[in-house]
Amino acid sequence: MNMRFRRGVVAAAVLLAQANAAEAHIAASRLGDFYAGALHPLTDLQDIILWGAMGVLAGSLGAATGRWLVLVFPLGLLAGLVLGQSFGVASMWATVDAAMMLVLGLLLAAATRIPTGLLCALAFALALIRGAANASDLGPETDRLLFAAGLACAGYAAITLAMALALAFRGLDSSPSTSWQKIALRALGGWIAAIGLMMVGFGLAS
Amino acid sequence: MRYLAAALLVLAALILPSQTRAHEASLGVLELREVRPGAFIGHWTMEPTMGADHVDLRMPPHCFVRLPELNCGEKGLVGPVTITNLGADMSAVLIRIIPLAGEARSYTISSANPVVSVLAAGAPTLQTWIELARTYVNYGIDHILLGADHLLFVLGLIWIVRGGWRLTKTITAFTVGHSVSLAAAAFGLIGVPERPLNACIALSIVFVGIEIIKQQRGEAGLTARYPWAIAFTFGLVHGIGFAGALAALGLERRLLPAALLFFNLGVEIGQLAFVLLVLALIWAHRRLDAVLPRWGDTLPAYTIGSVSMFWFFGRLLSVFAAT
Repeated sequence: MNMRFRRGVVAAAVLLAQANAAEAHIAASRLGDFYAGALHPLTDLQDIILWGAMGVLAGSLGAATGRWLVLVFPLGLLAGLVLGQSFGVASMWATVDAAMMLVLGLLLAAATRIPTGLLCALAFALALIRGAANASDLGPETDRLLFAAGLACAGYAAITLAMALALAFRGLDSSPSTSWQKIALRALGGWIAAIGLMMVGFGLAS
Repeated sequence: MRYLAAALLVLAALILPSQTRAHEASLGVLELREVRPGAFIGHWTMEPTMGADHVDLRMPPHCFVRLPELNCGEKGLVGPVTITNLGADMSAVLIRIIPLAGEARSYTISSANPVVSVLAAGAPTLQTWIELARTYVNYGIDHILLGADHLLFVLGLIWIVRGGWRLTKTITAFTVGHSVSLAAAAFGLIGVPERPLNACIALSIVFVGIEIIKQQRGEAGLTARYPWAIAFTFGLVHGIGFAGALAALGLERRLLPAALLFFNLGVEIGQLAFVLLVLALIWAHRRLDAVLPRWGDTLPAYTIGSVSMFWFFGRLLSVFAAT
């Protein structure tokens, strides 16, 4: 029963992701390459989960630590896009994405205090990987500059909003560490880690 | 706030060339004139930039089409009409059907509304209104989202005007201004040549850039003192620009008020989405205490000024080139 339920959830998530993908592609084709770049991440569940997880993790660490990602994350996406265009995307990166999800989820679940430098390095690495993955759908007629601008803009907006929302949800630094908001964030981390673990399993099995 | 605007402006500068093209609209207008019952002669009164030969036009299954000839037999031209290769080279095509008897009818095929159902002649049905709403709301959203100049002006207003209520009044004044002039231009009450108008729109953004600099120097500029008046005045100018896109579709007069309403609604939805996104990002930046360093204070204003002056000179050149 439990397994069936999980399969149902996974199937529903896949269907939802495909619906978003279709809509994003329609909107993108109608609004040009800037919006194609901005909406492309919506076509991939890994982007949605990983960007969100990174934003929540950074936000949970406080404004002083997280705010650097406003710059670092979009720059990483741009660098990844360039790398992906130059060298292509390795197939093993699906497993790397899943492993990244697992790591981010565990860090959030454990409420680990991460130094700013390490957080920036993690965010840059993640953005690099996802930027390269987003490069895979660039067609020969796509305007690279517009697509890159759209992707960076989406990365900036998504990470900034996710961090601020997590920060607002977490509340003030002075609130007790056992407040329900902090527990909820840790529980969210656990779910993200579980999704990552499942995806690593699927990746290795296939 | 400044951080956000800087990022947005740099991106606006990057998207400039294509957006300018998009605004000049890759539209086509196909006129189908009934010469005998069920038989039409078609010709392009406005040829799309990709060329009429490349348009993949699909008529209802009972119709035979090889332009300029279109024959639908006894059933007449009734049923789904679509164009399969709409995209960046051709964003919308208006099909104008002139029957032997009765009023001409117009249908707009766009990427947002790729299939239209041609209805039998007679009074508009509920289906006609639904189709009209779907087409023109989407067209309005597309138009504002692709209009980097309009969005940049709105961004400038948000930058200058502080305070929620004051900003609401300012954005509302801009909306009222462009709605009034859009309606006036669409009904032919006013007419301004497109190219000089586009240059004026660029100049309005330069004005906003200068106003931001003034504000940063501690001077109270016109926009800071009378934000709603400035927003309303420039709203009038931008509204005539919106009307240009609508006029290019050559709607029949009977449907124009409704099309205008839906188009304006689409523009408002797009504008509201943009304003909400910018406000959300401003809130996020405040929450994160992520602001530009002191040396970068004037960067966004100069970016706005530079981008809009670039637009202005480009558009001015096109005015002289056309004369």
